[in-house]
Amino acid sequence: MIRGLRALRQNARAIAGVFFLFACAALLSGCVSFTPQTKNLAQFRPAGIPGMRELTEVPFFPQSDYQCGPAALATVMVAAGVRITPDELVPEVYLPERKGSLQVEMLAAARRHGLVSYQLAPSYGDLVREIAAGTPVILLQNLGFKEGWHYAVAIGYDWDNGMLQLRSGRNERQELPFAMNEMAWRRSGYWAMVAVPPERIPASADEGRWLAAVAALERTGQSAPARTAYRAFLERWPANVNAAIGLANTHHALGELPEAERVLREAANREPDSVVVLNNLAQTLLDQGRAAEALPFIERAAAAGGPYASTVQETRQSILQKISQQKN
Amino acid sequence: MKTVWARVFCRLLVALMIWTPYQIATAGMIGTDQAVTASAQSDRAAVLGFANRGDVARQLQTLGIDPKTAQDRIAALSDQEVQSLAGKIQSVPAGADSGDVAIAILVIAGIAVLVWYLWKRM
Repeated sequence: MIRGLRALRQNARAIAGVFFLFACAALLSGCVSFTPQTKNLAQFRPAGIPGMRELTEVPFFPQSDYQCGPAALATVMVAAGVRITPDELVPEVYLPERKGSLQVEMLAAARRHGLVSYQLAPSYGDLVREIAAGTPVILLQNLGFKEGWHYAVAIGYDWDNGMLQLRSGRNERQELPFAMNEMAWRRSGYWAMVAVPPERIPASADEGRWLAAVAALERTGQSAPARTAYRAFLERWPANVNAAIGLANTHHALGELPEAERVLREAANREPDSVVVLNNLAQTLLDQGRAAEALPFIERAAAAGGPYASTVQETRQSILQKISQQKN
Repeated sequence: MKTVWARVFCRLLVALMIWTPYQIATAGMIGTDQAVTASAQSDRAAVLGFANRGDVARQLQTLGIDPKTAQDRIAALSDQEVQSLAGKIQSVPAGADSGDVAIAILVIAGIAVLVWYLWKRM
C-alpha cells in the first residue's frame, strides 16, 4: 500500500511537472474566470423555461474524419425538416486544405436549403432558451489547440444539475457540465447558431439581427422562403419598414407585382420619406406599365437625395423614357 | 496555335463565370440587404464587398474547391460575411476535430490538476 503510494507519488511528480504551468495558471486566475457565465447562471436563468428539456427526436449523424461541420449541420437541418445527409453537405461547407468548415459557410449552407440561419448572442441563457423552445443549437468549441475547433450540437439541458446534452463527433449523447462546456465554448467567443424553417422565429431572436438573417436568405435567391420569413417577421414586428421592403422585394422577385405594390403603398403611408420605399414603389408601378402613376413617387425620392441617389436617378430616367414613349 | 486560343477562351469563360452570379439585383429595385445595412454601409463599402466576392472565391479555390462550387458557396454569403473572410480565410476557425478527442483533453487537464493537488498534499 505504502509502496503503491510512493510509486504514485513519483509518477505524479513527473506528470505534474508537465502540467505545472497549466495548473498554476488555473489556480492563480481562479477557475471561476474560466467559466464566467456558468458562475452567473443562477442569476440569469431565463423566465418561463422548464428546468430541463432534451430534444430526443433530433437525429444523430456520427462524423467521419474532420467532418464535424457537415454532420452538425445535417443534424439541425433534418431537425428543421430538410431531407439531407452529411455527405450531401460536404461540398457545401468542407474546405479540404483547411480540413474543416468555416463558421460563415455553416450559416450560408443552411440558407441554400431554404432555412434561416441565425447566430445567437454569446450567452448561455439564449442557448438554453433555444433548446427549451425545441431548437437544437450548433456550438463551436475549442479545447486548447490552435486548430482544435469542433462543432457540436446542443440538444438538451438540465438546469438544476448544470448539465448540457450534445450530439458531438461520434458520441450520440454526450453529457457535459455547463462549466466544462463553457471552457471549450468560450474560446470561440461563445459562437452558436440555429437554422430554422422560415415560418419560425427563434426564441432569442433580436429584431435587427433577425431581419439581417432573413435578408441574407433573400439575397441567396431563396425568394419564396424569404417571403414566408418576412411575413412572420411583420406579424411579430409590424412597424418595421425594412421588413416591409423585404416582403415587397420577394413579391417583386416572384413576379407578384400587385402584392408588392400593396405592401409598398402601406409602407409609404407609414414612412412617407423612405427613399427605398418610394423608389421601389415607383419601379413596381413602372413594371406594371403605369409610368405616369410612378412619376410623383420617384420625384419625391429624388428630392430626398441620400445614399441611393444614383439608383433613384436610374429609375427616374426609365420612367421618363417610358412616358415619352407612351406620348409618341 | 489552336491550344493558345483555347486557353485564352477558357480563361475568359472562367472570368465571366466568376463575375456573373453577383449581378442578381432586379433592375431599379433597391435590395433589402442594402436597405438593412444602409446606415452602416456607404456605396463604397458595397463596392468593396462586391470586389471581395471574387477575391474570396479565388481563395476558396486555392483551398481545394473547384471554381463552380466556390462561386455557388460565395453567392450564399451576405456582404458582411464576405467581408469577414476577406484576407482571413487561412486564419479563421475551421471546425474539424472529433469531439471525443476534444473532451479527452479536458479530462487530461482535469487529471493534471488533481495530480498536482495530491502531490501538494503529500
